[in-house]
Amino acid sequence: MATEKVTLADALSNVEVLDELPLPDQQPCIEAQACSVIYQANFDTNFEDRTAFVTGVAKYIEEATVHASLNDMLQEGQEHAVMLYTWRCCSRAIPQPKSNEQPNRVEIYEKTVQVLAPEVNKLLNFMYFQRKAIERFSAEVKRLSHTEKRKDFVSEAYLLTLGKFINMFAVLDELKNMKSSVKNDYSAYRRAAQFLKVMTDQQALQESQNLSMFLATQNKIRDSLKEALEKIPSYEELLADVINLAVHMLETRMYLLPEEKHMLVKVLGFGLFLMDSEICQINISKLDHKKRIRLDKIDKIFKNLEVVPLFGDMQIAPFNYIKRSKTYDASRWPLCGATLPSPQADLMVHLPQIREDHVKFTSELARYSNEVTTTYKETRSPEEMKEMMELALRGLQLLSEWTSIVTELYSWKLLHPTDHHQNKDCPAEAEEYERATRYNYTEEEKFALIEIIAMIKGLQVLMARMETVFADAIRRHVYAELQDFVQLSLREPLRKAIKNKKDLIRSIIVSVRETCADWIRGTEPQDDPATKGKKDPDNGFDIQVPRRNVGPSSTQLYMVRTMLESLIADKSGGKRTLRKDIDGSYLMAIDQFHKNSFFWNYLLNFNETLQQSCDLSQLWYREFYLEMTMGKRIQKCCVKHQHNEECKDVVTLEKRIQFPIDMSMPWILTDHILRTKEPSMMECVLFPLDLYNDSAHYALTVFRKQFLYDEVEAEVNLCFDQFVYKLSEQIFAYYKHLAGSIMLDKRFRAECAALGTRFTYPPANRYETLMKQRHVQLLGRSIDLNRLISQRVNAALLKALELSVARFEGGDITGVVELSGLLDVNRLTHKLLSSNLAMDDFDAMWREANHNVLAPYGRVTLHVFWELNYDFLPTYCYNAATGRFIKCRDLLFSQPVHRDKPPQTPYHYLWGSKALNIANGNIFNQYSGFVGAPHFKAISNLLGYQGIAVVMEEILKIIKSLVQGNILQFTKTLMQAMPKQCKMPRYDYGSTGVLGYYQAQLNDIVQYPDARTELFHNFREFGNALIFCLLIEQAMSQEEVCDLLQAAPFQNILPRPFVKEGEKLEAKQKKLENKYAALQIVANIEKLGTAKQTLIAREGDLLTRERLCCGLSVFEMVLNRIRTFLDDPIWTGPVPVNGVLTVDECTEFHRLWSALQFVYCIPVGENEFTVEQLFGEGLHWAGCTMIVLLGQQRRFEALDFCYHILRVQRVDNKDETVKGIQLKRLVDRIRRFQVLNSQVFATLNKYLKTSSGDVDSQPVEHVRCFQPPIHHSLAVNQGHYYRPDQLLRQSLNVANTSGIIANLTLEQH
Amino acid sequence: MSTKQTLQKQTQQDWANREYIEVITSSIKKITDFLNSFDMSCRGRLAVLNEKITRLERKIEYLEARVTKGDTLT
Repeated sequence: MATEKVTLADALSNVEVLDELPLPDQQPCIEAQACSVIYQANFDTNFEDRTAFVTGVAKYIEEATVHASLNDMLQEGQEHAVMLYTWRCCSRAIPQPKSNEQPNRVEIYEKTVQVLAPEVNKLLNFMYFQRKAIERFSAEVKRLSHTEKRKDFVSEAYLLTLGKFINMFAVLDELKNMKSSVKNDYSAYRRAAQFLKVMTDQQALQESQNLSMFLATQNKIRDSLKEALEKIPSYEELLADVINLAVHMLETRMYLLPEEKHMLVKVLGFGLFLMDSEICQINISKLDHKKRIRLDKIDKIFKNLEVVPLFGDMQIAPFNYIKRSKTYDASRWPLCGATLPSPQADLMVHLPQIREDHVKFTSELARYSNEVTTTYKETRSPEEMKEMMELALRGLQLLSEWTSIVTELYSWKLLHPTDHHQNKDCPAEAEEYERATRYNYTEEEKFALIEIIAMIKGLQVLMARMETVFADAIRRHVYAELQDFVQLSLREPLRKAIKNKKDLIRSIIVSVRETCADWIRGTEPQDDPATKGKKDPDNGFDIQVPRRNVGPSSTQLYMVRTMLESLIADKSGGKRTLRKDIDGSYLMAIDQFHKNSFFWNYLLNFNETLQQSCDLSQLWYREFYLEMTMGKRIQKCCVKHQHNEECKDVVTLEKRIQFPIDMSMPWILTDHILRTKEPSMMECVLFPLDLYNDSAHYALTVFRKQFLYDEVEAEVNLCFDQFVYKLSEQIFAYYKHLAGSIMLDKRFRAECAALGTRFTYPPANRYETLMKQRHVQLLGRSIDLNRLISQRVNAALLKALELSVARFEGGDITGVVELSGLLDVNRLTHKLLSSNLAMDDFDAMWREANHNVLAPYGRVTLHVFWELNYDFLPTYCYNAATGRFIKCRDLLFSQPVHRDKPPQTPYHYLWGSKALNIANGNIFNQYSGFVGAPHFKAISNLLGYQGIAVVMEEILKIIKSLVQGNILQFTKTLMQAMPKQCKMPRYDYGSTGVLGYYQAQLNDIVQYPDARTELFHNFREFGNALIFCLLIEQAMSQEEVCDLLQAAPFQNILPRPFVKEGEKLEAKQKKLENKYAALQIVANIEKLGTAKQTLIAREGDLLTRERLCCGLSVFEMVLNRIRTFLDDPIWTGPVPVNGVLTVDECTEFHRLWSALQFVYCIPVGENEFTVEQLFGEGLHWAGCTMIVLLGQQRRFEALDFCYHILRVQRVDNKDETVKGIQLKRLVDRIRRFQVLNSQVFATLNKYLKTSSGDVDSQPVEHVRCFQPPIHHSLAVNQGHYYRPDQLLRQSLNVANTSGIIANLTLEQH
Repeated sequence: MSTKQTLQKQTQQDWANREYIEVITSSIKKITDFLNSFDMSCRGRLAVLNEKITRLERKIEYLEARVTKGDTLT
């Protein structure tokens, strides 16, 4: 590889340039800090470089050495604590020999020893460690408690380290006490080892015995520590110093991380316990009395923090150390002794303050972060840098405070579990852990917890974004403050010390300066009068202090602070304290510097501090409760069998490996948001999930335990699935509800509101932000939440569509209107969702739900046809007055239909909510009693051209089978029952006579049993089918017209403008055309687009323009097809004898229909059903259609029996009952049906003529002209006898007298 | 040059060295920041791209099904 030399300046400018690359990210930030790469530089040397500071005071360099080794021990102690906390019982998993005779007993023991030996080794190391640590600690205490040494000053850092030791002992002791599995495992090992005689030598046996005792003895560590300390004279003095320091630090908030705060409190408790000694006759109350320690202050601290978190689900109550002491004096502890709950337990009291701080701080931070992102500043002023540093510190302090509030509440709750008396939701048999977590928080508390966690995590993100800016400002400011202090501020005390010959002070100040001064010329100015104890010249002595972007090293800072502290300390080795020799103003300055510099270490390690002060990992860990639950006796039969009464007595040991997610804090909080659907919290839903990130990070970096990480991961997998599932369903339900509310009929809503029923819109929720999440970080994985939600919501919408079809399939044809409505709601839902999610095309989804992707016709088409065939055609009656079909419920001629019940569905799969489902149920119930225009409109909409074509094709098949089947058979039968001849009686007989004649002639038909039922039923089916075709076409045409009108403006079809006088139509039209020229798609695309686009546009235009309703008629086609079915000779009869037309012979179909018309015109009795009731107008439509198609309309109208009766009755106006038939009523009925028939004929003729609009193409009407008839009075010679060839004339004569024009068209001949 | 001055020089050198380290460290920090935001940005954009491709795939699948009318494409 070629090595190209890159200068530092180039490299740095390359880095600078990175900033300028735009990296847009469209996703709103609602998750915790998401980093794929974390970079943390740690320059803490743990005093490794102490020897470099030869200029420092030797004593403190020595102290640094001690510090370093103590820190190492603390680190080791931490590892042992982790080992204890994360200890999982091994022996439970190891099989135990059941009896001494078991053959593989030895093998089992061997394996046991093999497996447990490394674990036991850890315990052994732990025992050695605590022994060593106690020795070391007491040695330190002994050294410092020496009478001479007592007078000397002990640095704050040193006391703090001793405090940390005390804390470590407390923690280890507590952990050892609580972990019983450690003891169990060891005894299992010991048993096996003793059996195998592994430990042969005396020493090993002794060690084993010691370890056994060590593990079994409660409080072993603290007791041996106390024992060791009690041998040291006046050890309590040093401990009192430590305690006072802890109190001081707690009071002045000289700590940053939550764990440091907790450490200080533990130090107080355990320290007081160690001091309280019967043997040495030390009593803390006495010490208080002597004002050596302040118990009242400690009382307050203990009350504020009753329970201190330890690890995960373990905690210590520090006051218990005091309370259990024999010398406990309740009067000294008024607060802790009281039963009032600790403020730690009440989250709600902290919340307002936290909110206020959060708002205040984030707005202040925003000012800087906006400035940083918008402007580029080469350098900032010193004031600005100071402000930035203070801002950073305040941010860290706030974060740490909130974090400790959360963890402290959690610990308190763990120590105070609820039960079924306190919480009604908590079942009596709830588990311990459940009672401590799941049921232990009120709704309010959960929301507050979520809010605080969200604030912590949110602020962490904001702070981390500013890290480079903060870190820069911090380093520069710390450098400046330090150098200004040592190079400038310390000059005066130095001058004073030299002048007054205070050598010790001088040497310390010089040491401080030598340790860290960074002189601008590399060396201290030789001519500085201050170093000689002289005054500055009048014009001042100018010292230029350099500026750098780097802070002091950890050891350097320690040295400077400790040396300065010795100057201002109350104690020193000699009789006089040094502070007495320093002027007050200098003391103040030094003190101030000392205080300020306390936080420098934290700030210089900004990244690490930030991460630690936001660490909420412990909310997940539950090793203590797991161990408690494991092996608990539970009444449960674990055998897989049919459980019986005896099973109740079975007691087994719980083998719980982990708790269910419902008891896990992160999921409890996440689920709480999902369950309550609280809009203000919805955007925070990813923050509780981030707790898993914290826990996993802790498992990997601090606990370093694979199994813990695996368990976190497993829980995350489970929870995240749940989360996505619940969230997707909620989002779908929300948008469905919204769409349903929008679609709900406005008048219905208004009227319901007037009656007091309101339909609420769903409360606006912030799912949009969640749906925009495309890279959520969880356990190092990046998750496209949007995609996951899209997948599920798509599936849900498809399911909703499928369910709406299933619902339609479960009902009759009237359900089609509801289906159409459901489709509209789903379409709107789809539209609303599409703005955020990648939804499939609605059309495609609908086709899939309708099973219409592969098959040419879908479920809806099939069901429509099925319903038509089995329910609609045979049972519905048409009424032209209303334009509706009504189901005839009185008499059924076909089998009742059975349909599958539609499945039960959740509300959001239908209309969106329960209320909306009820409302729409009522609305659509109104369409269930009839089939009319709305239904046809819905059918034509849903089926489309293709579906309608299929349905019509099938309907034609039905008609064909009817016409060529039943109806033909009946016709053949009835034709035989018809009289051979049936003349038209003369007027002279009067209407009663005519009726009597026809009644007699047609008696066979009237009496024919099946005519009124089966035959009419068949005709009705035929007629209904026809009307269906007609109405569906009408509905379709309306749609098409709407389409055409809507498309018109884009196709240059403009309405004719109104023209005033003097204006020209053409000019006005031209103007309009120009005005709307931009809308004309084809013209514009031709002009601007490619050839291909033009082609597509033209085709689209053509498809829009060419519609069925423009000149084509479905119904005409149907009629023409039916005409071809009528090919049987029975319909037309033989060629008339006279060669013109048959008059009296009953050979043609219209004669039969006349007979049937006579039958149904006969008025019915009181409890009988009329044909209208039973069959509706379909019957007439069927008859008339056949007559028209057979070309017999004119003959029918001329020769019909009933019409003849009507005509005669019109003249004589008789009303009699003839053979049971009331003439007047009969005539009324005839008149009504005549009108109906002519309407039907008119309609049919209109359709049949449409395609022949072009008159020329029609075959010429064949009209035969006959001689005008001669009145019989003129043909006297012919008498009453007519020759056969005269017959025609005679009949025409009759016809003439009837007032009918006698040039009948003879289309069929 | 006295010992004292040598030491002072050394101290100054130490400051300079540490500042140099600090400059490098903060540059690395900037690079990691950049990498992180680059990662986020890329993931966001890739997700959008993925969405588009998935949509097209589904559309093609649908259209294929529509066109084949029952017999599967091989």
